Amino acid sequence: MKLELGKIFIKDLQFKDKTYVENGVLYVNKEEVEALVLEDDKLASCHLEIARPGESVRITPVKDVIEPRVKVSGGGEIFPGVIGKVSPTVGSGRTHALEGCCVVTVGKIVGFQEGVIDMSGPAAEYCPFSKTCNLCVVMEPNGELETHVYEKAARLAGLKVANYLGQAAKELVPDEVETFETKPIFEQAAMYPDLPKVGYIHMLQSQGLLHDTYYYGVDAKQIVPTIMYPTEIMDGAIVSGNCVAPCDKVTTFHHLHNPVIEDCYKHHGKDINFMGVILTNENVFLADKERHSDMVAKLCQWMQLDGVLITEEGYGNPDTDLMMNCHKVELAGTKVVLITDEFPGKDGKSQSLADTCKEADALSSCGQGNATLQFPAMDHVIGTQDYIEMQIGGWAGCVNPDGSFEAELQIIIASTIANGYNRLAARGY
Amino acid sequence: MVKGIEKYGIPVVHMATVVPISLTIGANRIIPGVGIPYPIGDPLQGEKDSYKLRLKMVKKALEVLQTPVTEQTVF
Repeated sequence: MKLELGKIFIKDLQFKDKTYVENGVLYVNKEEVEALVLEDDKLASCHLEIARPGESVRITPVKDVIEPRVKVSGGGEIFPGVIGKVSPTVGSGRTHALEGCCVVTVGKIVGFQEGVIDMSGPAAEYCPFSKTCNLCVVMEPNGELETHVYEKAARLAGLKVANYLGQAAKELVPDEVETFETKPIFEQAAMYPDLPKVGYIHMLQSQGLLHDTYYYGVDAKQIVPTIMYPTEIMDGAIVSGNCVAPCDKVTTFHHLHNPVIEDCYKHHGKDINFMGVILTNENVFLADKERHSDMVAKLCQWMQLDGVLITEEGYGNPDTDLMMNCHKVELAGTKVVLITDEFPGKDGKSQSLADTCKEADALSSCGQGNATLQFPAMDHVIGTQDYIEMQIGGWAGCVNPDGSFEAELQIIIASTIANGYNRLAARGY
Repeated sequence: MVKGIEKYGIPVVHMATVVPISLTIGANRIIPGVGIPYPIGDPLQGEKDSYKLRLKMVKKALEVLQTPVTEQTVF
């Protein structure tokens, strides 16, 4: 499967009477976007605001972040099975992306599991979305919606807005085109016979109770491990439906822009043979964890992989899925490198992962989420700061009267994102 | 908490879903739970059967509490 990803670099966002792109500026028709969001009768109100890098602006509570993309050729639609047609599959042909701008959905879904994006100040150093122009979609539910209904409405609204903006990229000439290709398994193995065959084990958050991810529209807790082409993910085959700790929430943006996949392609044909993605989940039953880690190991052995990289989403019991995968995959004869973040407590003295195994001897850390930071007051807040004290990383009394506060890094969206799309790391001595 | 309480000589039964974590943290008497959102019960079976299941698990836990162990044991 071969995908050409055409990137149109966006350096500013502005409201106008028509939605289009010109000279790196994305103009957005506010009324059309608001009408699109309010098509869903579950949502009572929607207002749009633009946040740019360097502004004294805070966005919170943030639910999801999405990059606008559009299918130009090759069949299928972005976010298949969710808002795009489920068939045909995506991942081949040509896709255009508006890079440098994002749709950010804002609203108190569950409160404690939404995050903060600061467009300037010390917290901006920790967040990739402090450097993008963001179209913030602030949504209020229609009456007393059950939380999961509100979550779904907000999730779909964000995807619809991203899809709407993506349409503006369809006819454009990209600033840059990157090509990614993974061939059918036997062909791919034969293509670089002397290079180590490397796979990527992608663990999707699937604990339920609003900790969900969708694969072609299927709730990931209902899948058993499967194999996919990496380029399918670039076309939105995986969508976030998560309310988890903000710091390592894999937003839909992070699925589209998975750094493990992008980096494996950079090495593809040079020092590794990138064979594809093994998709698995993180369920709340021990039998699921056992069964799915067995299947992951079986697939590694079946694909005769020499090595794999594994990422997880979230922390706590998913650490057990991570370690079961590590242990069983190594026993099946495939070398493992883990990529994750750490939570050693405020004093740094606790075990930083909930579980471990002796085969976990190669681990790349994306930093730790318990370190604290001072967040200055901002001139403007998109959304509300009313929930900072209950958001993960905050605590009772952490907010000062002037709107400044102290909180752990884990309150910042993607600060310790456990696939490496961040700037934190840890070094062993 | 399990280790902290046992340090004072009071035996503990750890009832939790993810047995590997119970083993990692050093629990000595472990009873696997049903699922992380509902460790001792199962709402999918309805409230009546879920209650029966809970009663059975708690009775078992009380027996395990009185059972001598020489190493970490999953019951």
